[in-house]
Amino acid sequence: MGSNSDDHSIITIDDGDDDAVYSEPDHGVNDKLQIIPSRVHQAEEYAEEQADKSYKLSHEKLTEIVQKGAPESTKKVKTKEPAGVAFALQRIAALLMFFFIFVPSMNPARISILINKNLSLFTSAVSYPSLTSDVGRGFRAGWIEESCFVVLYIGAILAVIGIIGIVVGACMSLGNNKLKKKSFIPSLAGAAVHIIGLVVIFIAYGQFADAKKQDKVEAAFASSFWIFAALVAIVLVTTIIAIMIVPKPEEGEKCEMETKFKLFLMFLPFAILTFVFCYLPLWGWRFAFFDYKVGDTLTMDKWVGFKWFVHLFENEATRRDLLNVMRNTLAMSGLGIITSWLPLAFAVLLTEISNTKFRRIVQTFTTIPNFISWILVYTIAIAIFSPEGFINSMTGGSTNYLMGDNFTWLKMLAWGTWKGIGWSAIIYIAGISGIDRQLYDAAHVDGANRFQRIWNVTLPGLMPTYMVMLLLSIAGMLSNGLDQYLVFSNASNLEHMQVLDLYVYKLGIQGGSYPLSVVIGMAKSIISVVLLFMANSVSKIVRKESII
Amino acid sequence: MAKYHNKMVRNKRIQAVSSSGEVIEITEKTISKRHKYSAGDKVFFIIDYLFFIVFTISCIFPFYYLFINTISDASLVSKGMINFIPKGINFNNYLALRNVTDLSNSIIVSVARTVLGTALMVMASAFVGYLMTKEEMWKRKFFYRFLVITMYFNAGLIPWYLNMVMLGLTNNFAAYIIPGIVAPYNIILVKTYIESIPSELEESAFIDGASHFTVFRKIIWPLSMPILATVAIFGAVGNWNSFQDSLILMSDANHLYTLQHRLYIYLNQTNNLSNVMNSTAGGGTALDYAQNGQIIKYTISMVSIIPILLVYPFMQRYFEEGIMLGAVKG
Repeated sequence: MGSNSDDHSIITIDDGDDDAVYSEPDHGVNDKLQIIPSRVHQAEEYAEEQADKSYKLSHEKLTEIVQKGAPESTKKVKTKEPAGVAFALQRIAALLMFFFIFVPSMNPARISILINKNLSLFTSAVSYPSLTSDVGRGFRAGWIEESCFVVLYIGAILAVIGIIGIVVGACMSLGNNKLKKKSFIPSLAGAAVHIIGLVVIFIAYGQFADAKKQDKVEAAFASSFWIFAALVAIVLVTTIIAIMIVPKPEEGEKCEMETKFKLFLMFLPFAILTFVFCYLPLWGWRFAFFDYKVGDTLTMDKWVGFKWFVHLFENEATRRDLLNVMRNTLAMSGLGIITSWLPLAFAVLLTEISNTKFRRIVQTFTTIPNFISWILVYTIAIAIFSPEGFINSMTGGSTNYLMGDNFTWLKMLAWGTWKGIGWSAIIYIAGISGIDRQLYDAAHVDGANRFQRIWNVTLPGLMPTYMVMLLLSIAGMLSNGLDQYLVFSNASNLEHMQVLDLYVYKLGIQGGSYPLSVVIGMAKSIISVVLLFMANSVSKIVRKESII
Repeated sequence: MAKYHNKMVRNKRIQAVSSSGEVIEITEKTISKRHKYSAGDKVFFIIDYLFFIVFTISCIFPFYYLFINTISDASLVSKGMINFIPKGINFNNYLALRNVTDLSNSIIVSVARTVLGTALMVMASAFVGYLMTKEEMWKRKFFYRFLVITMYFNAGLIPWYLNMVMLGLTNNFAAYIIPGIVAPYNIILVKTYIESIPSELEESAFIDGASHFTVFRKIIWPLSMPILATVAIFGAVGNWNSFQDSLILMSDANHLYTLQHRLYIYLNQTNNLSNVMNSTAGGGTALDYAQNGQIIKYTISMVSIIPILLVYPFMQRYFEEGIMLGAVKG
């Protein structure tokens, strides 16, 4: 099935799944049929059995094509979608609405400052407790009747249900004319329900505006209300246009959809999840340009442009912090890169041992630390190195090896190596077993000793893998990870422990200065990507192969 | 490996000269001389074995040390007498965990997220991996890149956090599950694997009138079990060990802390665990528990290590397959 997704020739067959097999523009239908004639026969029987008229039709078409010869079957049949522009608009509007129901700043139901500003329309509709989470005092003090919130809640639910209908309609509109005709039902119904929902929200707004304690309630109409209204109007208009344009489906035509759109719709939920959790956070970068404190609303009068970027370099304290953090980050990553040959050495030394059982045991036990969390590693550190720990009970002392700032970088490197070396070595062990045995035999016959064999056969064989690992670790230079440094850091060693990830965590999550930590995060992300591309280019030049 | 070469060489020689009887003896003599390790080899092997013995012990001893401390007589432990051999074996520490507030809650949360999160992630990875092999999908290449890019690029910790706040996924159990459903790396692993399944199987099913869902369920899913096991194991370990999301997102939901997060909190308590122990329920006094605070921390860690130690030896094969497949793909 090697057809290009974009030039997909269409031989209309009832079930979209089947045309995946027949619609090969390159190979032609003839070849396919020759390969699997018995299958076609079976399919024919099946079709007759089921008295499936359209299947037979499609098969007749197929045989017709086959009789006329392959070249014609490869001809691209591109039909123009009726009312294509209207549908495109409708789908865009549906997608935007679907997206906006998850965005709190686009919540039309936020008609009072009593409502949490981090609440999206979707959350407002799904959970009444979150809708009223900030109002508990308001209810008790009689600022506002609870019934107003119930009305608002119902409005939000209706609005969301309407959007779901619109989205279903937009999905169905990807099908054939019959399905398009059917899609008008959910589209229209959805639009109607959504409009009702908006009206109910509007009524709720009226109630809020009438509340006695206006200084506490501060009913304010959300501008996003009009955006939703405009979008639903687009849906309504485009649907009506489409109803007029889309031709009547042929007699006996079945609801169907091209395979490529079916597959796309199957993937769509996952695409949305990916977008929401991996791409949507980029929207948070806007905080870098605002003077924002926890609890504020992001409004344009807080726009400060590149103030925080400048602040990073001009503010003495921040600059000092950042230099220290960069020193730690680069030092630890640098140590990691310098010692990145250790797993390779581990693998080479281990494979020199011929006792398979011993090798197996070593491999099993040395990979276990990789699978426990850094917190458990820290527990182990406590058990071994704390004043009550193993070392002190052996020596009779009571030194706390975990406190103090001596050799912090090396200690962290040691823990990282202890945890990761066995696991990292697996890839090299597999690499060694992939080296041609004859090379070793040849080296042996030529009188090479063990070290010469390792140096001249094993290491060159592992170099490509090592280069990839090295380039990836260089690309990931700024990401040391948070866990290790968070659990091992304490007041005495923070000076040398504070890496970029830990610094951002402390600054942003614990300190609440979002703009500055977003700026640092932005810089980190961009530099990391640049590093990755550089590493990739190096790899392309040196190995003629890309690493990503 | 050295032995192996020598055998190879010997076999070759014998085969090569088997027609003439005289030569065989000579060859075997030469070879048998060579089979003996040189002095340098001996030194090398001693050092090599020694290194691996020491390192393996350093990997396994801490777990053993933790364990014997949790099952030994508490008074001996507090004197630092338990270093190699457990004495006065009892499981009181494990029973005492019943009285550690919130611990059972955390165990339930960790188990629930591990089971649910892994199951959903595996199903999604299998299905998306399958879809990604379908070249007729609309804009497949674009969407594949759309997925893969997320492995190399992220907006940063704070934007991620603000996004989760925006989506209402703070102090919410769903925050453990939903973001992990689409796992690009695992999708690539599964996709690569499915591509190796002969496409004739699918094609014949399509001709029999099967839909994509049916083909996925009846053909692809059962055939890709090995890679799904690998993916599941990685997912389960990741979920069980995860701690950052609990730390950052669940700040106001004490009952939703994962086991790792709970352990982190206990470890950081400067006092002993006496303040989190319900002193009356266990039948001991608060003072007893205070003395054993350290041991209780160890016991909690053991509870969170044991599942991994139990599962690991059986699943090692899958772990290794996973890393190899990942390496092939870069």
